[in-house]
Amino acid sequence: MRNKLGVIFAFAVGLMASIPLSAHHGAAAIYDSQTISLKGTVKSWLWSNPHCLLTFDVKGEDGKVVEWVAETQAPSTIYSMGFRKDSFKPGDEVTVTLQPAKNERPNGRLLSAVLADGTKIGNARGEGGRGGRGGDEAN
Amino acid sequence: MLSRFWAVVAALLAALMFTSSSFGQNGPKGWPDAKENRRAIAEKDKKPEPRHSIAGLWANTREGNQAKGVQLHPNDGKPENQPPYTPYGLQLYKSHKALEGFDAVGPAYTNDPRVKCEPLGLPRYNHYDLGIRIYQDENSVAILYQYDNRWRIIWTDGRPLPKLLDGGVEINGDYQEQRWMGYSVGKWVDDTTLQVQTVGTMPEDRVWLDNTGRPISEQVHITETFRRLDNDTLEWSEVLDDPKIFTKPWKTLDITMRAQDPRVDILTRYCSPKEIETYNKSYGDSVSGK
Repeated sequence: MRNKLGVIFAFAVGLMASIPLSAHHGAAAIYDSQTISLKGTVKSWLWSNPHCLLTFDVKGEDGKVVEWVAETQAPSTIYSMGFRKDSFKPGDEVTVTLQPAKNERPNGRLLSAVLADGTKIGNARGEGGRGGRGGDEAN
Repeated sequence: MLSRFWAVVAALLAALMFTSSSFGQNGPKGWPDAKENRRAIAEKDKKPEPRHSIAGLWANTREGNQAKGVQLHPNDGKPENQPPYTPYGLQLYKSHKALEGFDAVGPAYTNDPRVKCEPLGLPRYNHYDLGIRIYQDENSVAILYQYDNRWRIIWTDGRPLPKLLDGGVEINGDYQEQRWMGYSVGKWVDDTTLQVQTVGTMPEDRVWLDNTGRPISEQVHITETFRRLDNDTLEWSEVLDDPKIFTKPWKTLDITMRAQDPRVDILTRYCSPKEIETYNKSYGDSVSGK
C-alpha cells in the first residue's frame, strides 16, 4: 500500500515538474544568508502546504534544551530533494542545516538534513530539482 | 445441436469482450510521465504553427513563477523596474505589505489578499505560476490557470469590448458588475496572432498586480498578445493601461512558453485557509517576530 502511495505521489510530483510552482513568501526578508548546522531530536514533522515544518529539540552546551522549528517548501517541491512524509519521526536524531531567522528566534529555513542512518536529504539551496522554484528568494 | 448453438454464442461473446477490451487499451497507457519543461525545438524539427490556434498546455518553468514581481520588471528596487506610478498608485503601493520583493515583510504582517485565499483576479493570474492550459472553439478561447483552478473566457466571436464605467461595464446599454477576470474579447490580427482586450476587473482594494504588492485598479485596460511562433512555441505579452495607478501604459509580460505534453494532468493547487492558518500559528507568526 505504502509503495502504491509512493508511486502515486511520484506521479503527482512528476506531473508537477513541467509546471512552475507557487511561492508563498520570500526568504531574504526573514532569513540570514549564512547557514548553521544543528544536531537535535525530532519532535514532529508536519507534511503540509504551503510549507512543511520540522520541530526538533536542540541541547545547548549549557544543557538547556531549545525547541527549533524549521520550514521547507511545499511537499510537491521538496519531494524531488528526497523528503518524504515519513522522513522524520519523533525521537529521531537529526542534523539540520538551515538559514536562521533574522529575528533570532529558534526558527529557520531548512535546507538539508542528515538522518540517523546517515542519509542526507535536501540540498545547499533548499530548492527542488525538477520544476523547482522560479527565484532564489522564492520559498 | 443446442449445445453447439450455445458454444457459438459463447465464442461470439468472448470475441466481443476481447474486442471491447482491446478498444479500451487503444488510448494512452497510464498517466504520461511529465518531462522537464520542454526545450526549444531545433530549427530542423519545427512543425509549422496552426492557423488561428493557441490551444495546448504551455509552460515556462523559470519565468512562469514571477515570485519577485511581474516578469519584465522584478521588484528589486532598481529604478528601471519601478512602475510609472501616479501619486495615488505609489501611495497604494506603500500601503501594501507583501511577502515578496525587496521590501517584503514576514508572513504575520502581510496584507496580501492571496493569503486569505481571495481570488487573485486578472491580471495577477498572468503573473502567478504559469502553467496554463488553453482550449478554444469557434466562439471563444478558454485559459485554465493552475493556481486555485481558475479559468477565464476570451470571446473571439466578434463581440465588442464592453464600455468601462465607474464600478462596472456597459454591455448592450445595461450595467454589468465588475468581475475577477473582467470581460475579455479577442481578435485574430493575422493567422497566428491573437490580440486580447480586457476591462471590467476588480478594484484596487480587492486585488494586487503581483506578489510584491504592486497595485492595480478597476480602471485598467489590459492588452494581451498571443503569438504562435511555431507548433511548440507561444509568445505572450501584456501591457497595462491604468490611468489611476500608472502615468503611462506599462509592459509587464513578454514570455515565451513551450508546448508540453497535452496529456499531462496538472496537479491542482487549491488555496486552503485552514492550511494557511495552521502554518501561521505553527510558524509564520514566530518567524515574523510576532
